[in-house]
Amino acid sequence: MEYEEQKQLMIDQLMKKGKTKSKFYFSDLAKILDMKPREAKKVVNKLVEEGILEFWSSGSTSMYGLKGQGKQTAAEHEE
Amino acid sequence: MAKHKTPLLDQLESGPWPSFVSDMKQEAEARAKNVNNVEYQIPVDVVEDLLGVLELSFDDGTTHWKHGGIVGVFGYGGGVIGRYCDQPEKFPGVAHFHTIRVAQPSGKFYKTEFLRQLCDLWDFRGSGLTNMHGSTGDIIWLGTTTPQIEEIFYELTHNLNQDLGGSGSNLRTPADCIGQARCEYACYDTQDLCYQLTLDYQDELHRPAFPYKFKFKFDGCPNGCVASIARADMSFIGTWKDEIRIDQDAVGGYVSGDLKPNAGAHSGRDWGAFNIEKEVINLCPTECMRYENGKLEINNRECTRCMHCINVMPRALRPGVQTGCSILVGAKAPILDGAQMGSLLVPFVEVNKESGYEEVKAVIEAIWDYWMEEGKNRERLGELMKRRGFQSLLEAVGIDPIPQHVSEPRHNPYIFWKEDEVEGGWERDVTEYRKHHQR
Amino acid sequence: MAFISSGYDPSKPMENRITDIGPRKYDEFYPPVIANNKGKWLYHEILQPGVLVHVSETGDEVYTVRAGGARLMSVTLIREICEIADKHCDGYVRWTTRNNIEFMVDSKDKVQPLIDDLESRKFDAGSFKFPVGGTGAGITNIVHTQGWIHCHTPATDASGPVKATMDVLFDDFKNMRMPANVRVSLACCLNMCGAVHCSDIAILGYHRKPPMIDHEYLDKMCEIPLAIASCPTAAIKPKKVEFNGQTLNSVEVNNSRCMFCGNCYTMCPCLPLSDKEGDGIVLMVGGKVSNRISEPKFSKVAVAFLPNDAPRWPQTTDKIKKIVEVYAADARKYERVGEWAERIGWERFFEKCELEFTHHLIDDFRDPAYYTWRQSTQFKF
Repeated sequence: MEYEEQKQLMIDQLMKKGKTKSKFYFSDLAKILDMKPREAKKVVNKLVEEGILEFWSSGSTSMYGLKGQGKQTAAEHEE
Repeated sequence: MAKHKTPLLDQLESGPWPSFVSDMKQEAEARAKNVNNVEYQIPVDVVEDLLGVLELSFDDGTTHWKHGGIVGVFGYGGGVIGRYCDQPEKFPGVAHFHTIRVAQPSGKFYKTEFLRQLCDLWDFRGSGLTNMHGSTGDIIWLGTTTPQIEEIFYELTHNLNQDLGGSGSNLRTPADCIGQARCEYACYDTQDLCYQLTLDYQDELHRPAFPYKFKFKFDGCPNGCVASIARADMSFIGTWKDEIRIDQDAVGGYVSGDLKPNAGAHSGRDWGAFNIEKEVINLCPTECMRYENGKLEINNRECTRCMHCINVMPRALRPGVQTGCSILVGAKAPILDGAQMGSLLVPFVEVNKESGYEEVKAVIEAIWDYWMEEGKNRERLGELMKRRGFQSLLEAVGIDPIPQHVSEPRHNPYIFWKEDEVEGGWERDVTEYRKHHQR
Repeated sequence: MAFISSGYDPSKPMENRITDIGPRKYDEFYPPVIANNKGKWLYHEILQPGVLVHVSETGDEVYTVRAGGARLMSVTLIREICEIADKHCDGYVRWTTRNNIEFMVDSKDKVQPLIDDLESRKFDAGSFKFPVGGTGAGITNIVHTQGWIHCHTPATDASGPVKATMDVLFDDFKNMRMPANVRVSLACCLNMCGAVHCSDIAILGYHRKPPMIDHEYLDKMCEIPLAIASCPTAAIKPKKVEFNGQTLNSVEVNNSRCMFCGNCYTMCPCLPLSDKEGDGIVLMVGGKVSNRISEPKFSKVAVAFLPNDAPRWPQTTDKIKKIVEVYAADARKYERVGEWAERIGWERFFEKCELEFTHHLIDDFRDPAYYTWRQSTQFKF
């Protein structure tokens, strides 16, 4: 699968799931891409760099979400 | 004049131990005076408000911080912890008060020139309050606002040649003991291994793709001054394979009382004259030593390298020269299924600078592959090992089982034999069986 | 307070971006005597509390003066440390794993002026800035977490109880009369950012009340699946609740399954759990990480709960002082707290330390619990 296809797949899947939650573990993303973690990481890194995905951290755990999604976003972006 | 009254905190200014309250107050005053005309980028009274909110917690017995999911700088998944005050109107200076983790140099050695640069930057763009250091080892900067985070990162990387540390489901900033820099017990160069692995695994440190946090810690010897065996997913503990080096004259010096036992560590009390039988020979956990006719003998084959005799007589005894490290895996704090100590995986591996630590990295990467594929979300390596069994780890890493891996063999015979381990396999002909066994 | 740019352009975050450079290299910061003798050290000696000499095979010596400090430290104080390091140590200084500050000099005549300087510096209100000590068979600095100063789930403060405890143990920071070293640690909740579970004495913050549920705002502010997933004991379930005549999406908490970790509050600000009466301290004892003589050990719970009696936590420091004094008087040379307790038996430990034994101290959490019950007729009356 080409990167552009992977990107679209990721956006579609996360939008679909986004009705109930906006943050996902890395393993969820690897499953969407149907790739081994180390390979999936390269794609995910690129999606972050392009500003499609963004990180969320509990301090101890990290999660990913589509940029700007989620109920706490407004409060945390301090606008 | 203090902005908030702090009668409870004020009571922590007395007593001999350095008072963090006094230090915070001096910082609050320094910011207010601002003799160097710093253009503070966050509120000048940030420390006043922090004292205020802490006083409130001392009074009402509860915290006034909320977590925020902000992670820091663009492209990094860790290094910043989001914090918001739940009383922002009362304490506007700390309404947004995020933590930054700055990767510490191995061994925590500093030059004052560098420390001052760090201070100047943090004074200018943050609260001026730090932790030297956090539990994991990072330099912690307590409290700044969101717009400052990228600015701080830019200045750190461009002007100070310095990066952030880890947080979240990352490799956390590795930490080491003082090692060979100033310790005669160190069996390998903890600082160099710590530094090299930190550099080699920057991607793992900044871009989270692990199930959960992962910690490396480097202890130069089994005394374990950075507590790696208790708190690192992978602990690298210095050890040796050959014989403890003995200087018999110095042993005599301890016996005669000319040398201070324990390097003077017990000199606060009169424990009586040094008794080598009682204090060394009889306390050896493997009883592999004897002292006869003024000569110390060690049956090194039976020694488990606990360090006691070396700690007691450092001028007479030294670790061997064939040194390397043991690798233990899976230590963690109690949550969730109880605390775990590191379990021995690799009894001995050379710590070879010339090879770029290839031998060590092979083990690390095999473990990561195993954990990234098998680990559940928020499952530490130690928990995965418990769930899947130590055999599963050995298989994944390609290490053969040896008695050193256990403190004792299993207590039950419920061995899950695999088909290929049993002669003839599991496919059998029941008709053939019935020729000799009636129904 | 005009915003001053560092040069970073938010519209082009990747422009001139420098990443993945790691920390500065350790050897940039080695004092010459360290750089010249690394790996060549022969032996060391603790000359007096807080003062060590290391002797190299080259004949060089390095003298280290160790000073205690609060890990919460202002830039003003760090600059003062720099001034001291410039004056005495050619501009080099280091920190230890346990938040102590080490000043190193390369000859003996430089030691006393350094000590005098350190000991003479006090805060206006009277506490020492740099008390010298923390070596050998004594009580060194406490490693700890953030507490009320910066954490969102602490069940106690960190800097406050640490200051109170170190004031009580101060004489033993400056002495070496203990049977072995005594390591004290504090973590302000059971998540243990500072892993205290292998300390001779561990001060652990603990909540005792499950989270409150702010039904009115929960679905507006939190993502319910994340709150549910955050719970390590699966005690949180989705629930529809009636609130002011409306049916709202919210959660319910099975209180009897709650282990008071606060992970749900991390994910959802509508599940706060801190509470003045509920929160306090658990005291644990007898852990160690060293492999010396006996294997490393976990700390065990000795006191199930002590209240947060701020600002000085006298009930906690009294118990710690008592344990330390009984240990100092009763243990054999080289015995750590845990080794001593195991030798005399835990029943004796509670008796000698005058600690009450309650049902809270018997493990009932999952598998390891069984292995802590007594499967023997060997016990002491």
